[in-house]
Amino acid sequence: MIAQDLAILLPEILLAVYAMAALLGAVYTGKDALAAPLTWVTAGAFVLLALWIGTRGGGAQIAFDGMFVNDAFARFAKAALLLAAAAVLAISQDYMQRRGLLRFEYPLLVALAVVGMMVMVSAGDLMSLYLGLELQSLALYVLAAFRRDSAKSTEAGLKYFILGALSSGLLLYGASLVYGYSGTTLFSGVLEAAGEGRAAIGLLIGLVLVASGLAFKVSAVPFHMWTPDVYEGAPTPVTAFLSTAPKIAAMALFARVLFDAFGGVVADWQQVVAVLSLLSMFLGAIAAIGQTNIKRLMAYSSIAHMGYALMGLAAGTAFGVQAMLVYLAIYVAMSVGTFAFILSMERGGAPVTEIAALNMYSRHHPGRAMAMLVLLFSLAGVPPFLGFFAKLYVLRAAYEGGLVWLAVGGVVASVIGAFYYLRIVYFMYFGEERAEPVEAGGSPVLYGMLMASAIVMLVGIVNLFGIEGAAAAAAAALVQ
Amino acid sequence: METLLLFAPLAGALIAGLGWRAIGEQAAMWVATGLLFFSAVLSWVVFLSFDGTTETVQILRWIESGTLATDWAIRLDRLTAVMLIVITTVSALVHLYSFGYMAHDENFGEGQHYKARFFAYLSLFTFAMLMLVTADNLVQLFFGWEGVGLASYLLIGFYYRKPSANAAAIKAFVVNRVGDFGFVLGIFAIFFLVDSVRFEDIFAAAPAIAETQITFLWGSWNAAELVAVLLFIGAMGKSAQLFLHTWLPDAMEGPTPVSALIHAATMVTAGVFLVCRMSPVMEFAPNAMSFVTWIGAATAFFAATVGLVQNDIKRVIAYSTCSQLGYMFVAAGVGAYPVAMYHLFTHAFFKAMLFLGAGSVIHGMHHEQDMRNYGGLRKKFPYTFWAMLIGTLAITGVGIPAVLFTLGGIPIGFAGFLSKDAVIESAYAGMGGVPFWLLVIAALLTSFYSWRLMFLTFWGRPRGDKHTHEHAHESPWSMTAPLAALAVGSVFAGMVWYNAFFGHTDTVAKFFGIPYAEASEHAEGESAGADAEKGKGAHHYVFAGEPGQGGLYMAPENTVIADAHAVPKWVKVSPFFAMLIGLGTAWLFYIRDPSIPKRLAENQRPLYLFLLNKWYFDEIYDFVFVRPARGVARTLWKRGDGDVIDGTINGVSMGAIPWLTRLAGRAQTGYIFSYAFWMVLGIMILITWMSIAGGPR
Amino acid sequence: MIGLEHYLTVAAALFVIGIFGLFLNRKNVIILLMSVEIILLSVNINLVAFSWYHGDLVGQVFTLFVLTVAAAEAAIGLAILVVFFRNRGTIAVEDVNMMRG
Repeated sequence: MIAQDLAILLPEILLAVYAMAALLGAVYTGKDALAAPLTWVTAGAFVLLALWIGTRGGGAQIAFDGMFVNDAFARFAKAALLLAAAAVLAISQDYMQRRGLLRFEYPLLVALAVVGMMVMVSAGDLMSLYLGLELQSLALYVLAAFRRDSAKSTEAGLKYFILGALSSGLLLYGASLVYGYSGTTLFSGVLEAAGEGRAAIGLLIGLVLVASGLAFKVSAVPFHMWTPDVYEGAPTPVTAFLSTAPKIAAMALFARVLFDAFGGVVADWQQVVAVLSLLSMFLGAIAAIGQTNIKRLMAYSSIAHMGYALMGLAAGTAFGVQAMLVYLAIYVAMSVGTFAFILSMERGGAPVTEIAALNMYSRHHPGRAMAMLVLLFSLAGVPPFLGFFAKLYVLRAAYEGGLVWLAVGGVVASVIGAFYYLRIVYFMYFGEERAEPVEAGGSPVLYGMLMASAIVMLVGIVNLFGIEGAAAAAAAALVQ
Repeated sequence: METLLLFAPLAGALIAGLGWRAIGEQAAMWVATGLLFFSAVLSWVVFLSFDGTTETVQILRWIESGTLATDWAIRLDRLTAVMLIVITTVSALVHLYSFGYMAHDENFGEGQHYKARFFAYLSLFTFAMLMLVTADNLVQLFFGWEGVGLASYLLIGFYYRKPSANAAAIKAFVVNRVGDFGFVLGIFAIFFLVDSVRFEDIFAAAPAIAETQITFLWGSWNAAELVAVLLFIGAMGKSAQLFLHTWLPDAMEGPTPVSALIHAATMVTAGVFLVCRMSPVMEFAPNAMSFVTWIGAATAFFAATVGLVQNDIKRVIAYSTCSQLGYMFVAAGVGAYPVAMYHLFTHAFFKAMLFLGAGSVIHGMHHEQDMRNYGGLRKKFPYTFWAMLIGTLAITGVGIPAVLFTLGGIPIGFAGFLSKDAVIESAYAGMGGVPFWLLVIAALLTSFYSWRLMFLTFWGRPRGDKHTHEHAHESPWSMTAPLAALAVGSVFAGMVWYNAFFGHTDTVAKFFGIPYAEASEHAEGESAGADAEKGKGAHHYVFAGEPGQGGLYMAPENTVIADAHAVPKWVKVSPFFAMLIGLGTAWLFYIRDPSIPKRLAENQRPLYLFLLNKWYFDEIYDFVFVRPARGVARTLWKRGDGDVIDGTINGVSMGAIPWLTRLAGRAQTGYIFSYAFWMVLGIMILITWMSIAGGPR
Repeated sequence: MIGLEHYLTVAAALFVIGIFGLFLNRKNVIILLMSVEIILLSVNINLVAFSWYHGDLVGQVFTLFVLTVAAAEAAIGLAILVVFFRNRGTIAVEDVNMMRG
């Protein structure tokens, strides 16, 4: 019995054991000298795990009486976040190394965060939800403060920690209310208690509190305030990590809670999620306009993008969940490329994050500028790039879910949002020549990742690399 | 073969338009011309070997949306076959002609490449026109319809540095839109009624349409009448009929080969083609048909009067075209579709030749177009002179009246003589009265202005710039050869296909692939009066096809062709005498005593100005439509667009959004406690909302 | 007799105190950490009370997990606070303000 349960958890167990063993081993042997190989080994392990999970197939497997669920939805999210984490590790190694930041804890903290995320997306119980979330969060707090000698980085870690602890507290209080009013912590039990539109008010307040805690993790307005500060202060590879894998995990968990535990009261949470989505899209678009730092700008950009992903969730349908998953996958692919570009921005070996430094970038690096142009257009949702189809997907989901006003708002917000993306393009192609142009540093990995991401934005429009089908299967597993 | 024929011009257009840089300008021109000649040869093969049964060649499935299913297919029947040879022959000759005409153009500087572009446009036009006439459904026809409109726009405005050319191009485009609006409404109406745009389905449903009522605008109408009128409005725009004719004279701003191809031989006849193509519907709409007749007759008369006093050689021919199109519509309007096609067919030859001849003169006279500066050019332009003479003889209708002499039943005369007489006789037989007389008078006027053109250009003493006259020269072979080819058509086209278009009912029916039957006793008895002069024989056969069978549909009771042969003798000779009177007057005015026109113009000044200013149509339109429209547009632009829309957009993007951005920036204080405060505030609001709105219902 | 509602009231009061402690306090980050602990404690009271009320053990198991995680969280929080103090020489909440806008 227990062996079967453990077999279902095998990927998570393997990764956790690997992380702890590597931690111990590295402490007693080479320490930071092992950091670079460990990074690549971890990235490789992620890819292998992703392939394994992706091809594992089979129906829904349930472990520990429902506390842990491994269904198509979880597999899709796990494969996506593992690949995203692997890509981020690949682009961070060179950057961290050259700035003396690459300590052996880095890849292992990422690995532990990933274990937490994998538990999150498989959670079938409030306890596994909480434990996964905390494992992820604790690792991320440390990662944000990873540059111990930098005031900014430690401040970012501190802010993230305190606000994260507050959000965990809110979530937990909500969880305790849900437990109290339904008598169980299992999602399936909650679903029964909160059956067709007859949820007690205490249960709904519990839902709101849990949803707020999750909204913090996906940085939805008004729980987004930490995002720009943490993104700016954290080392850029960590920022890249924060804006990719944890977003997938948190969105997936959000979807799981809303559908697995509160699928009977869709009407109650639909409007809440829709409002969060609308606020996120608009705030992300509007606040980004005033930014001069590209990392802060990416923070607001990710807030806006999470707004669009929430739009799919707000639709409250299987198609909406499918749209959300497709959107997340495309968003992550764009983000990886964009951060590869940001990581390559430097002057005299020091990283540069000022947008104005990109003036006339195209003259010196036409290829990179073109790739970045494709990515920015895609982020802005300009056809014919992939980002446009991602937006189209969620807009359609919202429309079909009866949230026409939300879809209209999404279109308006995307028009506003296009401004700041295109402003970067403007700087790169038509700006004024500066005395000290920004250089394109970094390893071929960065260049390759940037180009690959740009090419994906162009080629993907053919059939989205087939993720549609997988996302549809995942959504069908979640929404019965 | 039909597919090959259709796509050769497209290939030419693409090669010449996009590939000329790769293969060179000369090569591009030769390729386009060669492909066109290839297409023309195929067309003649198709035409001569065509046996009259309708064929459909599917090319691809085009649009499928709901119940709208449209193939891209070629419908080949006699109507299409006739149009094919007209289009490809004239187009091929015009391509060849353009080698000489466009060789040096003062509108373009040294080193500017315009020739390949010109040929590409010509070929593109030809392709679009072929699409139009081979269409198997209304949508495809409309595609070709708009395609020729586009090509026409591009070619009228070919001298894009000339403001007048650009204005003329826009005018042509805009006026055609008015007609197209009617046409599109007609298509919608048909789709609404039949649930299909395929000709086969429409024709099969035509009798049913005639018994349907449809509500449109303020009233309820007979569906067939409404559809017929809407389609005819489209035809009016394309064929420059009265009220929508104003663009055609201005279109002469384009290069002369364009005028010959598009604004004489092919595109402007698309309206006539449309009416004939839709004959199964038209046959069920008698009121719409008499509307067509009246508009056609009025146009024929109106354009001929204006043509009397124009001084620009191309404008005279343009009004002449307008007038001749009116003839075609009269023939179609009285139900004599074969006669309309007959005149279209012969007109294409002699009108294209007149244009090309005029182009040759203009070319030799260094782009002088005012006839008052010509005179005595007979010696300078020997070939052109003879060509123009043949063309004039054809358009004025010179021949031996059939009453006096026929050769095996076929009258002897130039092409225009036979077809125009056929139109006038049909008009008498089908309608009589005012339209008939308008046509006869128009024939008189036609003769007058055509000879006026000849006399002013080729006779008399040289006028105008002496230098120009000294350097006038005959055109190169590439320009005279097409003239010769067209001259052959102008002389013989009428006689060779007389029986096919305007013979007895059985020959016409056979030619167009329409089933026919022996006339019943009843029908013979009824029309005995009309047969009095011809005796028996005229009504031996009647048309007996169902709508959609053959190239045209003529109802069994439609005997206008047979009746036209049986009209009184004075009717038959009236156009001939009209021609003689016109010729005599022109001779008197411009050879015998050249001072008469000036005196007449002074004596009858109001009339002269009225005609010179084309009945003030442009001025009236300017006052009634253009200025109010411009006023409304200006108001909308300045007030609506400028203040409201731009103001709002600018206000939002320059004012509100930066303000919100600053606000968002200020909210991001950097303090943990304010962040926590916003989170808690958010939760408070959500919980409050949930407590009020949520819960068990 | 002390019933469920009494426990819940205490927990709610503690929860609110914790939250207010987070955004009313502007002096010391340590107090923020304490406020977080108070919030977690209120949750624990809730869970245990509900567990007793429902008569099943899950709530108490949950409490043990929360306690464990809270310990880890406190450790990491203090560690971050230490490196922050090393960089800035202060732990006043108002000074945690380098990044904004």
